[in-house]
Amino acid sequence: MNGLQRIATAVQFQATDRVPVIAQVFGHAARFCGVPLDNYLQDGNTLASCQLKAWERYGYDAVFSVMDANVETEALGAPLRYSENQYPVVERYPLSPEASCDGLTVPDPEQAGRMPEMLKALAVLRREAGDKVAVIGCVLGPFTLASQLLGLEKALYLAVDDPARWGRFLDFATEVAIRFGQAQMQAGAHLPMVFDPAASPAVIPAAVFREFELPRLERLFQAFAQAGAMANWLHIAGPAAPILPYYPKAGVQIANFDYPVSAPQVRQQLPATCVDGNIKPLLFVDGSPAEIAAESAALLDAFRNRGGFILSSGCEIPPEAKPDNIVALVQAAGNA
Amino acid sequence: MNEMNALIAAILAGDCAASASLTGQLRRAGFAAPDIVMQGVEAAMSALDGKCTAEDFNLLEIMLAGRAVTEIMKLLYPPGSALAATKATVVVAALEGDVHDLGKNILKMVLTGSGYRVADGGKDCPLPRLIDMAEEERPLAVGISGLITPVIPRVRQVRNLLKERGLEGVKVVAGGAALKQASAERLNVDFVAESAFDGLHYLEELVGERR
Repeated sequence: MNGLQRIATAVQFQATDRVPVIAQVFGHAARFCGVPLDNYLQDGNTLASCQLKAWERYGYDAVFSVMDANVETEALGAPLRYSENQYPVVERYPLSPEASCDGLTVPDPEQAGRMPEMLKALAVLRREAGDKVAVIGCVLGPFTLASQLLGLEKALYLAVDDPARWGRFLDFATEVAIRFGQAQMQAGAHLPMVFDPAASPAVIPAAVFREFELPRLERLFQAFAQAGAMANWLHIAGPAAPILPYYPKAGVQIANFDYPVSAPQVRQQLPATCVDGNIKPLLFVDGSPAEIAAESAALLDAFRNRGGFILSSGCEIPPEAKPDNIVALVQAAGNA
Repeated sequence: MNEMNALIAAILAGDCAASASLTGQLRRAGFAAPDIVMQGVEAAMSALDGKCTAEDFNLLEIMLAGRAVTEIMKLLYPPGSALAATKATVVVAALEGDVHDLGKNILKMVLTGSGYRVADGGKDCPLPRLIDMAEEERPLAVGISGLITPVIPRVRQVRNLLKERGLEGVKVVAGGAALKQASAERLNVDFVAESAFDGLHYLEELVGERR
């Protein structure tokens, strides 16, 4: 079995030759190759080349075109500040809280900001890796993208003070995600992961998720399924347990779970959904290979009789992670 | 006490307009500003604390209560007026390299609403500025919020830099998505807070010990 087959099979809860393993290696691939992060994030060829080299070294089952959380924000007009060692930050948000989003147009992924670079990266990754490994794109989920239009704090106040207007922001964000995700699949992605940290129960109550986010996720995942996504993958970090029961209705087929959610919790709440998680990201920076091996073994045990499990970190493995710890993660899957 | 209970309920509901209106009613009924803070605002923060468990804690609810508290404090203590007596001063900041200040702002709201004076070092705060502020303010503690892991090496330096200025009595508290994954020992801080209220509990213990 190759990486793509392993993941596709795990999603169906069928037997695999070994448990699939996805190290959430994004900016770490640049660090691994000695490339400045700002270069990696702005050049699709560089991104793809670093991802392929990291994949060859580590041997996990998925490569990513993930850049950072501001690709869409920049494409919608926000200037970013880049630096060599850190992800870029927004210098000015595209809209003020008083503004309407009616004047915004859905960006063209072939033209806007770094979207074309991400499409380029996906095309290279798919051309070079073919169907040997899962090629994963990324879009921001509705809540996170809509928040990025104003800044999170102002966006959350708007959600409460003017829910109807906030709903229009979310609808716009959903359209952006659909168009960008479809373009990613056309470029070569097997699926676009939906990354939505602002929809975490750490930020909003589960009732707000249910009322505002769930209907938009349903629309988004239906569109991705129609466009041929291998599976629908939702990535919401933090203490997500209160919203997990909504995932099947949203159309989620791979659910990321972060370290605040335990393996028994996720097994109970998502009995028929493939899940990936959940080693503490920081452990890859300041832990040891033995610690990663022990955490991995506990997770593999927890899902041994169930299937539908992908060994992974709870969120992104930080760029400054120690390579030996990623090796330990992949080896643990091989030893299972 | 009906108006005071109503004020507590309005803060917990995050109702800014009702909080302001009830504060006005309480003032007209003869309540002094410090009484409204202690019996109303601090009682509401305490109720919010009890409500926000590890399993059920979200920023939005606290932000809404915090916005109501900010409005009440502006009414009770307009700019230029003498501040209420406080339990202690705390310097808060997101360190250089981290521009995410929501966690820091939440901590500020919780502490302000719980009777602390907060000196805000802002986001992307260079270490020398943080240490200068600590020297000037002589706080009970320095609270550092961090969303991203690259700030960790800077967090590790804070306690030593305070010591170099003779401020070893100032406690260092860390929190936020990245920092709370680590132990206090690994971060070289005195306490790692799981949430803003967890940080508050630690400070309350320190204040209790000092009395």
